[in-house]
Amino acid sequence: MSARHDIFTALRRLRPQEFSAETIEARARKLARAMQDSLPPLECSDLCENFIARVTAEKVGATVERLAGWPDLPEAVARYAEMHGLEKEVALQPDPRLQTLDWTVFLRADAPLRPDSMLAVGAARGGIAETGSLVFHSGPEAPTLYGFLPLHHIVALEARTIVARFEDYAAAEQGQPQPRNVNFITGASGTTDIEGVLARGAHGPRRLHILIVG
Amino acid sequence: MNAPSPPPEDFRARAKRALGDRNLKIALDRTTGNARTKRAAAVAAWPAFDRAREAAAAIKDHALQNFPYYLERFERNALASGAKVHWARDAKEACAAVIAICREAQAKTVTRSKSMLGEEIGLPHALAEAGLRRVETDLAEHIIQLAGETPSHIIWPAAHRTREDVAKLFAKHHRDHLLLTEIEAMVASARQELRDDFFAAEVGISGANFLVAETGAICTITNEGNAELTTTPPRVHIVTAGIEKIVATTEHALQLTRVLVRSATGADLTQYTTFHCGPKREGDRDGPEEFHIVLVDHGRTQMLEEMPEMLRCVRCGACLNHCVVYTKIGGHAYGGAYPGPMGAALTPVFDGLMETRDLPHACTMNGLCKQVCPVDIPLPTLLRDWRAKSFRRGFEPRALKLALALWAFVASKPALYRAALAVALPLMRRLGNNGWIAKLPFAPGWTNTRDFPSPAKRSFLAQVRSGEKKVGSGEKK
Repeated sequence: MSARHDIFTALRRLRPQEFSAETIEARARKLARAMQDSLPPLECSDLCENFIARVTAEKVGATVERLAGWPDLPEAVARYAEMHGLEKEVALQPDPRLQTLDWTVFLRADAPLRPDSMLAVGAARGGIAETGSLVFHSGPEAPTLYGFLPLHHIVALEARTIVARFEDYAAAEQGQPQPRNVNFITGASGTTDIEGVLARGAHGPRRLHILIVG
Repeated sequence: MNAPSPPPEDFRARAKRALGDRNLKIALDRTTGNARTKRAAAVAAWPAFDRAREAAAAIKDHALQNFPYYLERFERNALASGAKVHWARDAKEACAAVIAICREAQAKTVTRSKSMLGEEIGLPHALAEAGLRRVETDLAEHIIQLAGETPSHIIWPAAHRTREDVAKLFAKHHRDHLLLTEIEAMVASARQELRDDFFAAEVGISGANFLVAETGAICTITNEGNAELTTTPPRVHIVTAGIEKIVATTEHALQLTRVLVRSATGADLTQYTTFHCGPKREGDRDGPEEFHIVLVDHGRTQMLEEMPEMLRCVRCGACLNHCVVYTKIGGHAYGGAYPGPMGAALTPVFDGLMETRDLPHACTMNGLCKQVCPVDIPLPTLLRDWRAKSFRRGFEPRALKLALALWAFVASKPALYRAALAVALPLMRRLGNNGWIAKLPFAPGWTNTRDFPSPAKRSFLAQVRSGEKKVGSGEKK
């Protein structure tokens, strides 16, 4: 008999299905709510402020700048590049919110994404205030590697897309098709693999800079 | 002809050697000390952590209670996403499935993102045997690959190595041959060294922290970003996962990361928490063209019958960091893929109780592992169950059996017990000096490395009876 058959035979013998699918899934929802009664506290009631507090905390270690609107983005990116002594060229995630901006005054924004890219600019789908996480769904407008290859990753995040908790994210996506990749990015790449000491820039970006729009 | 290999060392010999290794002690103290401090801070900032642990345990139990329902649902959704699903009863079948996919892909180089299941089924060895070039991309796995070692911790596989050791390894093996002193510089050197391999590999292999039934996605959590760089550029992504990684929903998976990550590293969330669902889609500029999931039993169905609580384990490593035995002897002494308390509970399932019965004995029953477990696994109880099984199956030495029978005989007869104590106590006190016994005649194993406390003049009960001690007062008269 096949391995699949043997495994399911053993599982069904030990855990025969006692309830209907509806009952099982109602139970699953109840358990998710039970966890919500014992969540870690949020520091401030304003979601954006809470997000900033988390993401700039030492253990996440990102930097943040607030912008009034999308048109301010290119100048902010150019300032960052200058401050870190980077060439004024960026690999731009093919997100229309970024692509439609006027970059030409400040820098070249048509660099291809390469394994040794110094700077890439992306746009997040949303943010999680509880942990200071950025959310990306992969797709034609958001290739996965933009978040992983560059040494410096700058991410635009619209303030109105920040939700409080993982549960709010899950509720908002309920019933939507699952993207190929969902990436929750919380700070720059780091490792504690040598003696448990945190060092940045392991394989992903060494620095994460978040531009909060609105 | 090869010389016959020496008989494999047993646990006692390995533990003894580890205890004498000064460098190991430094490395373990640094890594586990850092881990304990960070976890304590994270837990202190979450007043309801204990209730959350219960909620997390209930979430895992729910998935295991409805195991076939959710596993079938996962498979259905994964297939619908374009993934290919393979099933393996044991380690051999699992490795064979992975190798077959690599051959089909005509792979020469495979990158691998750390997975304990991979270690458990012996995948590194199987890849080497198949003539594939294996590149470990997790920093710690890279370190031990250079050193030709196996992991000694499930979160920090190189926990037994000091920064000085790593510096020497990198100077020897990295193309830049620099002897570095700063950890940051060592991390940068590894980044440089491994960069090209991410793009040269035809196949990338990852594990999975969760299999999400609702979507057919698998979840990886890493801090370095090596998982995504392992799974995105190569043409083929292979996931190897134990079937117990099943959870009902994305929400449940995210809720479990809350307790998992804080218990492991003290962070609120790992830097990269990624759900992978199927191969590259239309319009995608990156991503694998083939997405394979190898689902492995290897003892899980047996555990479901014999110790289902252990299937809740989310592999955070907190029980290792807080174990008074692990923190002294490190991971290699345990001799299996999983060390520490969770390893002592798991290894007898994989390697047989007869060969591994020393592991459940290497426990002081102080209960810390259960206290820090994010899914409240009763590890001391599971270890005691193994001890009892070992005793029942006749694996324990006869002398131990006789001694226990004698003790039980005496201890169940109060008058005899008191009489025996009245004889033994003064004798033991004569061996002592300043409250400590330096050498016990029948337990040299204990007193070779530490002193034994001298007993009181008379037994506790005798002191209470004579009024010397008051029950409940906690004070001497």
